Amino acid sequence: MKQRRRASWLSYVLGVAVCLSAFVAACGEQATPRFPHRLHLVELACGKPGGPSCLTCNSCHAVSQQERQYKLPNVGMCQRCHRPSETRALSALATVPPRVSGEISINHDQHLAMPGIQGQCVPCHSGVVREGESTLPPMSKCLTCHEHERQWQNAECTPCHDDRALRRTKPRSFLQHDAAFMRRHGELGTLDKSLCQSCHTQADCQSCHDVTQDLTAELRKPEAFDGAFVHRGDFITRHAIEAEASPTRCATCHAPETCDACHVERGVSANRRGAANPHPPGWVGNVLGSRSSHGTEARRDILACASCHEQGPATNCIRCHQVGGYGGNPHPRGWQSARSPNAEMCRYCHG
Amino acid sequence: MRAARLSGGAAALTFLSVSITAAQPLPVKAPSVQQDRFDLSARSETYVALFRRALQPGPAGSLVDTSTALPLSQYVFLGAKDLDTAWRKNSVDLELAAWARVWPISNVAEQPLDGDVQTAFVNYRHDSMLARFGRQQFVGGAARFARFDGVLLGAELGAGFSAQAYAGLTVLPRWNARPGYHHLGSDADSLLRDAQAFQQPQRGGYWLGGGRLSYSSHAFSASGSFHEQREHGDLAHRNLGLDGRANVSSALLFSGSAVLDADSGRLADSRLWADVTPFEALGLSLEYVHTHPALWLSRQSVLSVFSTDRFDELGGTASVRALGPVSLEGASFLTLYDDNRPGGRVEGTVRLRADARTLLRLTYVRLLAPSNGYHSLRSSLSRALFGRTSASLEAYAYLYDHAVLGYATSSVYSGTLSYAPTAALSVLWGASLSRSPYAALDAQTLLRVAYEFGYSNRGVFR
Repeated sequence: MKQRRRASWLSYVLGVAVCLSAFVAACGEQATPRFPHRLHLVELACGKPGGPSCLTCNSCHAVSQQERQYKLPNVGMCQRCHRPSETRALSALATVPPRVSGEISINHDQHLAMPGIQGQCVPCHSGVVREGESTLPPMSKCLTCHEHERQWQNAECTPCHDDRALRRTKPRSFLQHDAAFMRRHGELGTLDKSLCQSCHTQADCQSCHDVTQDLTAELRKPEAFDGAFVHRGDFITRHAIEAEASPTRCATCHAPETCDACHVERGVSANRRGAANPHPPGWVGNVLGSRSSHGTEARRDILACASCHEQGPATNCIRCHQVGGYGGNPHPRGWQSARSPNAEMCRYCHG
Repeated sequence: MRAARLSGGAAALTFLSVSITAAQPLPVKAPSVQQDRFDLSARSETYVALFRRALQPGPAGSLVDTSTALPLSQYVFLGAKDLDTAWRKNSVDLELAAWARVWPISNVAEQPLDGDVQTAFVNYRHDSMLARFGRQQFVGGAARFARFDGVLLGAELGAGFSAQAYAGLTVLPRWNARPGYHHLGSDADSLLRDAQAFQQPQRGGYWLGGGRLSYSSHAFSASGSFHEQREHGDLAHRNLGLDGRANVSSALLFSGSAVLDADSGRLADSRLWADVTPFEALGLSLEYVHTHPALWLSRQSVLSVFSTDRFDELGGTASVRALGPVSLEGASFLTLYDDNRPGGRVEGTVRLRADARTLLRLTYVRLLAPSNGYHSLRSSLSRALFGRTSASLEAYAYLYDHAVLGYATSSVYSGTLSYAPTAALSVLWGASLSRSPYAALDAQTLLRVAYEFGYSNRGVFR
């Protein structure tokens, strides 16, 4: 067994290494250099006789132009200083920052004229002089001045955001869906329903919670590996372990009886004719010298029992566990109900 | 009922195709004063999967007869927001989502043609009032997650208070539609003494209703809720819910929720957590959960009277984003059952944003359940390749504490390649290989074509 484990892990490590190597080799072109804004704006020796002129943001960027292509300089601008043969320097022009939130509509002229901004670009676009930061400001920067409370409440993202890009927009600088989020998104949705609805529709909830569909969220979005999906990887092997570790988690979406509906279909249920008993010998104390363990397991996770034994009045549990039966009183200490003993369910045993 | 589902899905498909065809060439222009300002969105996803399967595995994963499957699934979504009525501007929203699936070959277990309407509702707003009709869901609080065909009414009461009430027929899960499958077990089940003892599900007996009263301010939010659900006309769930949150400061947030089973007077589920953000780059969260599994069963379940045991879970998560392109996430939870057998989960993730186009992620998980557990290692890589093409690779490895069907390990490898010729259209091809206790070698492939359409005539500014 140990040898097989070692071999399996080795194959996994080798597999990962091969895949990564192939992947990196296949797409291993040199990363496009980031345009050295800081060098041009701050570090360049300029303004001296015979030297280049000092640059400002406006030297290269015509931000008041409406179309995006006019906001970025063309190659002719660079060739005023750089020779055409300086391909490395000129290739930096290709460093167009990715629009992770799509195109943003902003009136640059209006903003630059504001007293608090005074024509300065860097307070918003701080990434041009800071390594590791995007040259485009995060949305949290906008919200330092614009509260947009009414638009926030009404989930109005347009016209600042291009409507066509919104479906693919993820908040980066606020509303992070981190490790804790998936555990309690239901509770958060209760208190912040309108906030969730800014981006999500009810159909988005159904893409995970609708258990009638065969395609799980993982299959529908296989490329979204950063999403905290439940049924990742080899879930079919570990699903029994996961269910046992957190007995109520499955019940969020699945009714207990759906377990057996699938097990019968796949031929791994004791409810299928000819199937083997999944319980160990002596499970109900019917083997000489054995100690009944089914009661302990049932008290700990009755949902697991219900996944096969939930059969209403035909439940085999109440053959023994009923008034005067061999199994005695099924109600554990502290059990109570506000229902009348005449309720149909009670009459299974008490009728 | 199935016919109704399918007709709904077909109608959605037709409506979607018409709306896409009609709306695509519309230019974005600034609206005039009288013009209806609205948003339209539509989405279509088509999936074609190809795999071989064995519905009844042999002992210990031994080879058995397999069959080829080629299911084709279609999802559609259509949404409209802020439509005008003759008497009110921006008062109507619509949402429709549906899926359909066919099995052209090898249909052993599933219906050859299947489908369902996921959501289909009209939302009407009038000042501070709201009414929603159709197939919808109500989430959180005592309801947890309720899907129904019915009506929801809501009102903003002022001073931060709001109220909602809903009622309708429960959207039944699929078990009632399986031929020869009444509740659990089939007619042929030898455990059944009397198959006639099962009641045939009648939809009229499956209904639900409830309400919620909420208060919200910047520093404090709270809501109380009630939910009742009926099966066969008898009580299935009667819950009371309480949710609250207090913003102590920008760096400290306390929240909690509780669901009380009103039938037994017991706390079915409760959670308390605190989110601490001492620095912008560091997020901490502490959480305590208390749960009674038996109280999640329907009150019509005989088994709901067999147990009062509970389990408690205590743990927390942490995320660090101060290491340049590297970010870290960790989680650790300890679970204690009534019989004192401990369980737990530890998880750690490293994300490396190598450059603007490459993301590498490595996750280790250790899970301990009472009778088994596992270690898992997951490595993922995604990269924007060239143009509008991107790819991802993933590998999973599992090492089980106790062998499952004789196998102590399993592994899965998967990859995707996607191409988006336009902003609205994308094509993805995915494939996976796995080795598990259930298959010596499992190979699957999937093709997804997605079309996404959005239109707004709210205007733009520069």
